[in-house]
Formats: sequence, C-alpha cells, structure tokens
Amino acid sequence: MSGTLSVLLAKTLTSSTFKQALIAIGTFGMIVSALFGYVYLSTSSYVRSRSDRGIMTEYSSLQGAYERSGRDGLIDQIQQRIADSNFANNVYMLADPSLAALAGNLREWPPTITAANGWIEFRARAFSSEVETGSRQENATNQESGAPFRFHRNGKGSSEALPNAANRPLLRAMLQTFPSGDRLLVGRDISDLDSFADQIKMAVISAAALLFVIAGVASILVTRRTVGRIESINATSRAIMQSGLDQRIPLRGTHDEWDRVAENLNLMLDRIETLMGEVRQVSDNVAHDLRTPLTRMRGRLEKAYHGQRIGEDDQALIGDTIADLDAVLRIFSSLTRIAQIETEARRGAFRTVNLVEIAGEVVELYDAAAEQEGTRLTVVGDREVLVTGDRDLIFDAIANLVDNAIKHGRAGGQVVVANENIDGKPVISIADDGPGIPAHEYEQVFKRFYRLEHSRYTPGNGLGLSLVAAVAHLHGARIEMLDNSPGLKLKLWFSAPVR
Amino acid sequence: MTGGHRRILVVEDDPETAGQLVESLTSNGYKVDLATNGSDALSRGAAGDYAVITIDRMLPDIDGIAVMRQLRDDGIAAPVLIVSALGEVDDRVRGLRAGGDDYLVKPFSFVELLARVEALGRRSDTIVKETILRVGDLALDLVSRTASRRGKDILLFPREFQLLEYLVRNEGRVVSRAMLLQHVWDLHFDPSTNIIDVYVGRVRRKVDGQQAYPLIHTVRGVGYSLRAPG
Repeated sequence: MSGTLSVLLAKTLTSSTFKQALIAIGTFGMIVSALFGYVYLSTSSYVRSRSDRGIMTEYSSLQGAYERSGRDGLIDQIQQRIADSNFANNVYMLADPSLAALAGNLREWPPTITAANGWIEFRARAFSSEVETGSRQENATNQESGAPFRFHRNGKGSSEALPNAANRPLLRAMLQTFPSGDRLLVGRDISDLDSFADQIKMAVISAAALLFVIAGVASILVTRRTVGRIESINATSRAIMQSGLDQRIPLRGTHDEWDRVAENLNLMLDRIETLMGEVRQVSDNVAHDLRTPLTRMRGRLEKAYHGQRIGEDDQALIGDTIADLDAVLRIFSSLTRIAQIETEARRGAFRTVNLVEIAGEVVELYDAAAEQEGTRLTVVGDREVLVTGDRDLIFDAIANLVDNAIKHGRAGGQVVVANENIDGKPVISIADDGPGIPAHEYEQVFKRFYRLEHSRYTPGNGLGLSLVAAVAHLHGARIEMLDNSPGLKLKLWFSAPVR
Repeated sequence: MTGGHRRILVVEDDPETAGQLVESLTSNGYKVDLATNGSDALSRGAAGDYAVITIDRMLPDIDGIAVMRQLRDDGIAAPVLIVSALGEVDDRVRGLRAGGDDYLVKPFSFVELLARVEALGRRSDTIVKETILRVGDLALDLVSRTASRRGKDILLFPREFQLLEYLVRNEGRVVSRAMLLQHVWDLHFDPSTNIIDVYVGRVRRKVDGQQAYPLIHTVRGVGYSLRAPG
C-alpha cells in the first residue's frame, strides 16, 4: 500500500500539472511578496514620518520659545516638558557652543553627533535629570508607573554601566544650531517604531511562508487528483492494449471535465469496437461466402478427377488444380483462424496447461521433419512450466515456430526448444542456428503475408508468425526476438498462470 | 464394405453441396436421404434407421448441434457428423468427439467425408475387444504395444505405434491427414505443412522397408490407406 502511495507521490511530483502548479505558486508568491513588501515599507515610512512630524512640531515650538524668551526661557520649557508625562517618549538636549549640557534628559551631548543641523539617529539612554528639583523626581516616578518608559525605568547611573550600546534605545532627533551657537536637539525614542516595523516584517514573512506552504499542499492535492484520474485512463489504455477493447474507463460521477474526457474516450472506444466488429463481420461474411463456391468447385474437380473417361494428363492437371485450390483454402483457413483467435472468444476455454508437455508433443510431431533436414531437435529446461491458456492454440503457435526454425535454420544444424520459469513467468524459447533475421525486420515478420526476401521462394504463406502473434496476444504473452548468434531465438513470455 | 445397413441422412441446405454429397455417397454404395432444414432433419431422423447422419452446422432454422441433441433426446443413436465452417468450430463442436460423433471442417474433400462416414458407420457395428491386430504379415500387439512383420519386430516410438494402430483399425479405408491429426495427436486444426506426410513417411520406412509388399498406401490429395495386397 505504502509502495503504491509512494509511486503515486513520485508520479505526482514529476507530473506536468505539478510543475505548472509550482510555476503558478512561484509567480503568485512573488506578487504577494512584492505586495507585502510594499505594505511593510509604506507602513514603516508612514509611521516614521508621523513621528518625524511630531518631532518637527515639538522642535518648532521650542525654537519659538528660544526666539521669544532666549536661552533661559527654553531651558524652562525643556524642564517643564521633561517633567510632563505626556512628553515621556521625547528626549531633549540644549547645549552651549562648547557642547556642555544646559538642559535636557540626556546625560551628555551625544559624542557621536558631529553634524550641526538636520536629522540624526543615535543610541542613548535618557534619564530624569538629577540636577532637577524634587518635583522632577516625583514626575519621573509618575512616568515610571504611568507610561512605561524603558530607558527611564532602568534607573540612574546604570545606563553607562551597560556595556552594549545596542541595548540602548534608538533615538531619532532633529538638531539645529542657533545663531548664538547654542544647539538644540529634540528627539524621540523610535525603538517602539522599530519593533512595530519588525512585527509587521515578521507578520509579512510568516504570512508569505504560510501562503507558500498552503499553496504547495493544495497543489499536491490537486495534482494527485489529476494524476489519479490520468492514471486510471492510462491503466485502462494499457488493459485495452493487452487484453482487448472491452475495457472502459471508470467514471466517478462527478460530471467534471475528467468525467467528460473519460466519457468521450469511452464513446470513442465503443465506436472503435463497433467498427472493428463490422470489419470482422464483413471479412467473416466474405470468407463464408467464398468458401461455399470454393467447396463446390473442389467437389466438381474431385468428381472430374475420379471420373471414368479421363486421360492421365487431364488427371494430373486436375490433381494439381485441386492441390492449388487446397493451398488457397488453407490460406483462407489460416486467415479465418487468426481472425477467430483475435475475437478472443476462446479465452473462455482457458485452463492450466503445461508448456513442457505441449512442447514435447510438438517436438515429437516435428521429429520426423527435423530428421529429414538433418536437424537436431531437442527440448530442454524445466519439467513443469504452467500457463493458463488454450492447449490447441499454444500447440499451433509452438508448432509454427518449430516449423519455421527447422525450415529457416541451418541444414544439419540444431533447433532447441527451452521451457523455463523466469521470475515466476513461464517462458518458452525456440532457437535455431541458421542465418537469422536482420534486427530491423523483427517487427515486420509478424505482419500478415510478410515474407523475408530470401524465404520468398520457400513453401509457406507468411501467415505462421501472424498466427503466433495472435495466439500470444490472446494469452497476454510478450514475444521477444533475439540474435542467437548465429540464428534466431524467439522467446514467448507468458504471464504467470491463474490459480 | 461394412455390412449391415448403409443408409445415410444428409442434412445440408446448400443445393449444390447437397447434390454433390448425395451423388458422392450414392456412388460409394450408400442409400442417401436428404433433408434441407432442421425440422425436416428431425422428422426424417426420427423415422428412419440411419447408419450415419451428416448435419451442416449452419441451417436456415435450427443450429446443427441442436438438431443432433434433439435426435439424441428422441432416442436416435446413429453417429452424427457435424459439418462446420472453420469459424464455427468452437468447444461444443470439438466436444463432439467425446460423444462418439465427429465433425468435419468446410471446405472438405468428398473423399475425406467418405472416410469419416466410413469410420463412423463402422463404429456402430464393430466393437470387438482384440489384443492382436493383423493385416497381412503385420501384427500389432495392443498389450505390449509392439509391432512386427513376419515375426520380426519393428522399432516404433509410442506415437508411431498409435499412428500405425489407427491405420490398421481402419484397414482398407482412406484415412485423411486431418483424421490422423485428430485421432493420433488430438489436434483439431491443420498445421498447414506437410508434417503428417513426413511423419507417415518415417513410419512407412520402418513398416514397409525391405518387405515383400507395401502396406501403407498414399491416397493422392487425401491421405493414406493401409491394406494388404489381394
């Protein structure tokens, strides 16, 4: 069971449907990724620009205070803001031209900042200034309990102790140098923005990943369904090739396009079966209609042959005519017989037979003929090789092969009939050591009336191997032709007998 | 030749074939009645006492085998020869042999038909248990399965002995190749080669070689006949 499952899975993964599904998933995935990427970028830039606008507003208001009431007024404003929990996320720093801190909630002017104006980003820890009044301290406590302000909560003094700068929050600030040389820095902790962007990024990536997985699983399921249906069509096709036109593709009753394909194929098979039946009927009728006048003709000739007032010359003439007529009738019989075998009506009479026995009888029958040609005819191999089939037909097929081998083999050579069970399959092979057949004619020789150039003038009608092919087909046996170097070896691979 | 009654019922719907059959059988000393369809065959068959009945398989009304079965049910014991086209040779036809009847495939030679009719007609009146068969100076020991001429053993393979036995049992009658295939090899088809001739040729060399007179004779176009001279 697991074997067939893995085969089905392998067929699924190698099927063209699955490849197409993969291409679709790939294209779709790229589009979705681009879309998600755009969402991510625009979201994060929107968030950032909002935060930048906030900083700008704050900066403008402080700049206004500086212009109105000078450095002291600004310091006042800054201190008020530091104390106010509404501004808890903000950082402020006012420094004199020598970069000494005048006010703000940073310990010192960030040393990494070299620019005089513009936007900067840096890592630093804000604190609630100790140089401030007691009320600042209270407010700082409020801030702690109110809005969680990470760099504040971690306490005083410990900030420098932290060796890893990356642990400090990321700040984004607007920096401006006043004409007096004083520098004002207004900024905001954007760590939260950063983590928000990270979260969006994670969401986008996991959504995309999930999408790929779901699409992959879905395409495997869909492909398996398709492959399953195609496999059932394939299996039926193989069965038809092997055993005949009576097989039909099973419908699932889903009325989908697969059922319609199966329906149409079945209708096509019906039509082919009907046509073949008609052709067979026609040839049967022709054979039958010709047989009756031929029978009469033969009767008259025979009457003439045995007539009282007939000269010896006439008698010989009539005798030869009868012989020729018999040859014609034999070809007819062979054709009718092949046609009859191909109708497969005889499969009903199949029983288990031993190839070795049949081969033995054939060899016994042809023993005298082989002796006449000086050919050594032998049977080798296993004692019991059982097949399910029609004894007469198998006899006929083997007889034809042995007959051919003796006729077309080397005079004074040998013909070996071997019976074997190979991997549970009954096999009979007939080998001669004559000139053999060129490999490119292997297929041809099974055609009706086909004769190799060099054997065109030897007796026979070119129907023997057609009959062998028909018998083999009826028994589901495979014919293999091999170079016996020298000579031809023909193997019939039967299927294991039905118990 | 066989003694007793020699009346034959021919059931055949084709007028010319029927005419030829009747003529051929009549000229060989049989008294022939003709029926051209199945129901006619049934009424004639039940009324007359026939040595052999030949029935065409394809009749306009009833299947030839059905006619035969009906005759059997009516208590008619006469052996039946079913004449059948090759395509109609199925298991039912092949099964006839078991019932003591026979079949012949169309087209057939009339000599072949005569040979069959002779063999069937004989069956009904000679059922003698013998252990040694003799023809001229040839003796067949059916128990030890050995053959000899003038007391000198002839070395034969089992199948060759069978063939010779069949010829001896039909002494003086024509035995066709198809009959040999059917009775000696149990084959119901013609391998369409001269294989039987080759086989008989070998038996003939063993039996007739260096003898005072030949026993096995070839009947041109048909088969063989074994008979002692005189």
